[in-house]
Amino acid sequence: MQRLRFAAYDKQESRAAFLFIIPAFALLAVFIFYPMIQALWISFQNYNLISSHSSFAGMDNYRKLLSDGSFGDSLWHSFYFTLVVLPVQTAISLGLAILVQKKFRGVGFFRTVYFIPVVVSFAIASTIFRLIYNKDYGMLNVILKGIGLPSVDFLSNPDISMLGIIVLCIWRAMGFVMVIFLAGLNNIPESLYEAAHVDGASPIQRFFLITLPLLKRTMAFVVIITTMDALKIFIPIYITTSGGPAGSTSTVVHFIYETAFKQMNMGYAAVAAFLFFFLVLIISIVQLRVFRTDVEY
Amino acid sequence: MNRNIAAGARWIVMIVFAVISLFPIYWMVMSSFRTHEEIFKYTTLSRELFIPVNWTLQNYKDIFLDPSKPFGRYMLNTLFVAVIVTGFGLAVNSMAAFAFAKLRFPFKKILLTLFMSSLVIPYEVIMIPQYLLMRDLDWINSFTALIVPQIVWVFGIFMLVQFFADIPRDILDAARMDGASWMRIYNKIVLPAAVPALITLGIMTFLNQWDSFLWPLVVINEEKKQVIQVAISSFQSLRNISWGKILAATSISSIPILVVFLFLQRYYVQGITMSGVKG
Repeated sequence: MQRLRFAAYDKQESRAAFLFIIPAFALLAVFIFYPMIQALWISFQNYNLISSHSSFAGMDNYRKLLSDGSFGDSLWHSFYFTLVVLPVQTAISLGLAILVQKKFRGVGFFRTVYFIPVVVSFAIASTIFRLIYNKDYGMLNVILKGIGLPSVDFLSNPDISMLGIIVLCIWRAMGFVMVIFLAGLNNIPESLYEAAHVDGASPIQRFFLITLPLLKRTMAFVVIITTMDALKIFIPIYITTSGGPAGSTSTVVHFIYETAFKQMNMGYAAVAAFLFFFLVLIISIVQLRVFRTDVEY
Repeated sequence: MNRNIAAGARWIVMIVFAVISLFPIYWMVMSSFRTHEEIFKYTTLSRELFIPVNWTLQNYKDIFLDPSKPFGRYMLNTLFVAVIVTGFGLAVNSMAAFAFAKLRFPFKKILLTLFMSSLVIPYEVIMIPQYLLMRDLDWINSFTALIVPQIVWVFGIFMLVQFFADIPRDILDAARMDGASWMRIYNKIVLPAAVPALITLGIMTFLNQWDSFLWPLVVINEEKKQVIQVAISSFQSLRNISWGKILAATSISSIPILVVFLFLQRYYVQGITMSGVKG
């Protein structure tokens, strides 16, 4: 071997590496990064698909959006949805995970059953729930009436319509979060519980003094992804209520979709998407800082 | 005594949640076998409410034989798109993952950061310019629009990077000494070692595509090219459509997935766990 290498990298290896990366990189550049830059550009335009001409709008779109009541409402609906779903869904999922963590006869059955709704697509779950919620013939009200409770009308009562969507989303997602918690719970060494047991800690003490603190990292992940997904809620809204009744379930992504593809006002919708993106980013960063952890186990 | 009550309560909670989890799916499948009249007939708690009286396959026949809403066609469309995206996605993403995990090359850190940064970009922001790009490329109403932009999946790349990282570099170097090209090493050593990870990623990609809704809703307007999820949602806006047909459509498009899931759930659950705990 008389080849002498002065470079730190093997030339052939580098070339192979670039060839391996190029397809993914090209797709990423064309379909993710370029649209991202384009989105920023469009947000400064009066870009309307129907009139087909676009003109420079400067900050007009931004100014208009910030004083747009229906955007404000949609923002509030997304946050309301998230503020309810986040604690309720996390608590239910953690509860289920604890129930099925220990091995017992039939544990596999229950784990699978709780996970099954995750495999049903969001569009289909929304469709089923829409029919179940139906005021006259829906299963929910038949059962409520059957056991002597007043009927609820999730689909046309603006006061509770969002609750109907919340129930449906928790139904579909709880098994998913449960699986993440299960993995987190299995990482906590059994010896800690045994030691606590010897010291006479009650199950409730064990939960708050061992389980919760040691689940911090898993909890951080769950809280962040649940928040992100919840803020972006769209499919169940589109299918069950289309933002109604009386705009009571219109969320941000629904607002963006309607503005861009129903009113064909791309520039304005891009601004809404951008502001929303920064909001989600800030919230995620804050959550990451809150959950920053030094717990090692 | 106290312990017995606790154990009993525990079982009751578990069973209640099992019923809540399964009941909507059970109701969907059972109602799809009812006649149109029967679905609206029983509105009090009774046995007939939970089990169909006159079992019928009419709803299934109707959705597959309706020429204006060719449901079989929608299923084939979706299957076609999902299989192609999964195939190409596995190839493209695993190649990039292999380079990032095992090869040494300049600018690796910068490229990796660039790839990572795309994870922060929410789909909602790029959806509009992506749509405009599809229009400029003349891909609106074509499967190309459903396939090409969906192939690269950065999350998938990172999942595979974690997996490939466990393959010892010595083996690769030994193969190099024997004169194998990097492509051959990737094909003969790396891919076979990562089969479980590839199955996991494959299932996740396939399910994502099978369930995909917003993007097809935006780029496909032609009735014949529609995918299953959007087709189902459009069923509901039709006048006088029977619930039986809607529920037959939702059943037939989720039951095969559920069955496949029951066999492969280990891989799927593993994918979620990896994203949550290691990532």
